[in-house]
Amino acid sequence: MSYHPLLNRQLLKAKCDDESIDVPTLLSLVSTAYQEKDIDRKRADHANRVMADELNVTLSELALQNMRFRAAMDNMYHGLSLFDEQGRLVVCNSRFLEIYGIDGETSPIGLELPEILGRCNALSRANDLDKRLIIREHICLDRLDRTPIEQQWPDGRWVELTRTSVADGGFLDTIVDITGAHQASDKIAHLARHDHLTDLPNRVLLRERLLEIYRNRRRQQKCAILFLDLDGFKAVNDTLGHAIGDLLLVEVSRRLLSIVREMDVVARLGGDEFAIVMQHIRSRSSPQRFARRVINLLNRPFTIEGYKIHVGASVGIDIIDASEMDADQILRNADIALYQAKADGKNTARLYDPAMHAAVTARRQLEVDLSNAVLFKQFEVFYQPQIDLEAGTVSGFEALARWRHSGRGMISPTEFIPMCEENGLIEELGAQILEVACKDAMAWPACVTVSVNLSPVQFKSGNLPTIVKDVLEKIGFPGSRLELEITESAIFDRSSGIISQLSEIRKLGIRVSLDDFGTGYSSLSHIRSFPFDRIKIDQSFVRELGADAESLAIVRAVVGLCENLGIQSTAEGVETHKQLDVLQHEQCRSVQGYLFSEPVTMSETMKIISEFNTDPPKQISIRRRAA
Amino acid sequence: MWVERVNLSDIAGSASILRPRSSPAQLVMTFGPTRSLRSGEITRLLRTSFPEAILFGCSTGTTVESRSLSDTNTVAVAIGFETSWARVAIERIADMSDSYRAGQAIGLELGGELLVGVLVLSDGLAVNGSALVNGLKNTLPEHVKISGGLAGDGAQFADTLVTVGDLAESGLIAAVGLYGPSLRMTHEAAGGWDEFGPVRIITRSDDSILYELDGKPALDLYETYLGDEAAALPASALLYPLKIWDPASPDDEVVRTVLSVDHARRSMKFAGDIPQGWKARLMRGSFERLIDSAAEAADCAKSQMENQSSYDGLCLIVSCVGRRLLMGQQTEEEIDVVYSSIGGSFPIVGFYSYGEILANSKTGPSGLHNQTITLTMISEVA
Repeated sequence: MSYHPLLNRQLLKAKCDDESIDVPTLLSLVSTAYQEKDIDRKRADHANRVMADELNVTLSELALQNMRFRAAMDNMYHGLSLFDEQGRLVVCNSRFLEIYGIDGETSPIGLELPEILGRCNALSRANDLDKRLIIREHICLDRLDRTPIEQQWPDGRWVELTRTSVADGGFLDTIVDITGAHQASDKIAHLARHDHLTDLPNRVLLRERLLEIYRNRRRQQKCAILFLDLDGFKAVNDTLGHAIGDLLLVEVSRRLLSIVREMDVVARLGGDEFAIVMQHIRSRSSPQRFARRVINLLNRPFTIEGYKIHVGASVGIDIIDASEMDADQILRNADIALYQAKADGKNTARLYDPAMHAAVTARRQLEVDLSNAVLFKQFEVFYQPQIDLEAGTVSGFEALARWRHSGRGMISPTEFIPMCEENGLIEELGAQILEVACKDAMAWPACVTVSVNLSPVQFKSGNLPTIVKDVLEKIGFPGSRLELEITESAIFDRSSGIISQLSEIRKLGIRVSLDDFGTGYSSLSHIRSFPFDRIKIDQSFVRELGADAESLAIVRAVVGLCENLGIQSTAEGVETHKQLDVLQHEQCRSVQGYLFSEPVTMSETMKIISEFNTDPPKQISIRRRAA
Repeated sequence: MWVERVNLSDIAGSASILRPRSSPAQLVMTFGPTRSLRSGEITRLLRTSFPEAILFGCSTGTTVESRSLSDTNTVAVAIGFETSWARVAIERIADMSDSYRAGQAIGLELGGELLVGVLVLSDGLAVNGSALVNGLKNTLPEHVKISGGLAGDGAQFADTLVTVGDLAESGLIAAVGLYGPSLRMTHEAAGGWDEFGPVRIITRSDDSILYELDGKPALDLYETYLGDEAAALPASALLYPLKIWDPASPDDEVVRTVLSVDHARRSMKFAGDIPQGWKARLMRGSFERLIDSAAEAADCAKSQMENQSSYDGLCLIVSCVGRRLLMGQQTEEEIDVVYSSIGGSFPIVGFYSYGEILANSKTGPSGLHNQTITLTMISEVA
């Protein structure tokens, strides 16, 4: 019989020299072996128990950890699904179920992706083919690439899917609803192409539409672009504020939209500028007729926040063949035509023709030159004497600005003053002329005054009294020798605070005269609104004296009125002895005109003064000066 | 090469009983209880019998001779080489931090063109075995095999020593270099321990001292696992060796065994480094698997030696005291299986150590091992 190897060894150890077995030794060895086995068993039991306790603690820690992971996963913005090597779902979060619209009661765990996608409610609205394509695209995601893909689902949502490989051979899909981001980018794209105030297409979209027309062109298809600018909009903004101005623009856009065809485009280019693209026009006259309709429509008063507002509209038109579309060119041409329309007196429409281009270019060049002339103080001041009929002396000179253009020669104030007014140069020009006139007048005898014309626009900023005061102080010229002339129309615009500014000016000792009286409203209330020192009777009445009884009646009335109110009267544009005789007879106080002198340079004023004033003639010696 | 077991009681009478040999003994290895070796009596006996030999040994709680173990006997074996030769190097170390330097010094002293292997025996309590082996490895070429172990003291962990020549001292490291073109040396190590319980993280340590695992005192964990056997610490800690590994290279695992514990600081000193941040897991042994692994190691070492066409030689076994403590009487079985595998032509001698040294092996990790059985076979070819 074979024994256990241990027992064999024990027998060997217990064997005596005579080959007999020492039983006590053997028993001791056997007993020890039992004890050792007992100890080993107890040791293993104890270790297993302790280990079980430890593992229990670890398990509960893991359960806690799992709970935390679950909470974190379920509160993720992303949907998450983890698949094993066989492609079966092992973990997913609640966002995943929510995005796919998977019923929480039937757990998808253990299912493969195609089956899960087949069940999800989010795709149920799709037709069979779409659904198959969406599912296929998702299933075929490359786990190594990790580049996200975007899908639009039948319910309108956009989702982004990303797949990552996992070390155990499985993969992890994340899904995120990016509908909001898509909407935001759509919104941004819309904002980039639309005017935020009226929501009309802006210049960017207008250009795109023009390119679209070019791309979709058909033979001999014509289209027109109308550039439209509101006349008088700036006044609305200045007087009623930008909020009303904005509401007016919105209303204008509504009116425009109400009369265009569906295929046409109305865009806002900025400010009060709009554009209308008309497609498939039948004749060259139809855009012009349409422009007229637009003008008429916009001429109708607007009622905004209780204000009744009148504006006009100028329209520039260009018509081209769609196949020759050059977006830049058509926009530029329409703009030139608009420019021409405005130059032609506003509230009108002009069709572009190539000649216009040259004219507008020239005018634009003139504007640039004018701006430089103001900047570099290139204006000259001429003076026309004013004769006191009673004393027969020169009582003062009217300062008149002259612009000697290097290419075009002398340019009339009637041309450049409005340009200065439109281009915001008038305040600077006015200050320049005032300064030169005051400086020049310093050379004259103290009894000789200088009068300077003011543009209504110079009152806009409200700085005029300060400007005038600064000039007087700078030069040391007494205010009593300065007279400022304003036209009737300036007084009419009460919003500019002209009366208060004039009152301030008057406090400096400066006299104020009302120029061109009789041409405007000829309103007596204007005369009453401010204590004018002088009224200048417009040359149109003077010219007719002796020929037209009405003119005489007007001159007589004005002179009489001035006499009664203690205001000086001055007749302008006196060119003949006959006119002078009449004026003397009507007891007009003073006169100016070519009969005495045309406007002259500063150096010539001294001669005139010496001729008239050194030896005052009893009878005015009338002499016409050479041109 | 010849190898002969020296019967110490025989030579106590007369040296003449030794058989005549073709060459004088060049190396005599002795392993025995600390008390026996410290007296110097055995050294004197051996010196008389082997006047030209290098006397070389260390203390142990259990000696191995042939197929049996003894907790009381001193064993000695004499070796004579035909053409090969041996040289000895000695280092004393003041404290553990000196271990690396000592290893380097020995390596530099023994290094030479024909050096085949180094047998190193070190004090078992005062030396950082990992550092010692690293010092050796860094000064010796990779083909030089390094074998040996840390002296033991059974379950006492109180007093270990190394004997070399006439010296028998603690704090001593002795190494014998084996030289010659005919010399062959193979070695193998096997553990056979099983990991169990959770994986832990070494959260606080300092060189070979372990303070905390998973933020809790390491000693608390051992005491919990040991239960009543905690009273036998540090020896009982050998029942649960600690496997550690760097998370960055999880395949390079080492097993560490406890040398001492500090109850006040709740810390444990191990026979090698316990790097902070590494992972750790407790191990335990089953008799069968420990014995099986010893048999595998023996088969492997033997086949390597056969490949080199060698003949007779010596098989040095250095096994861990932890195995002895765990397996009790059955420990003998792991020696028995080695004996059965290697057979009679390679006499077996060895000891149960506080740390096994096996470096520059062809297979497996290299350095200081714990809880293993290591086999070193030395032979000469004709």
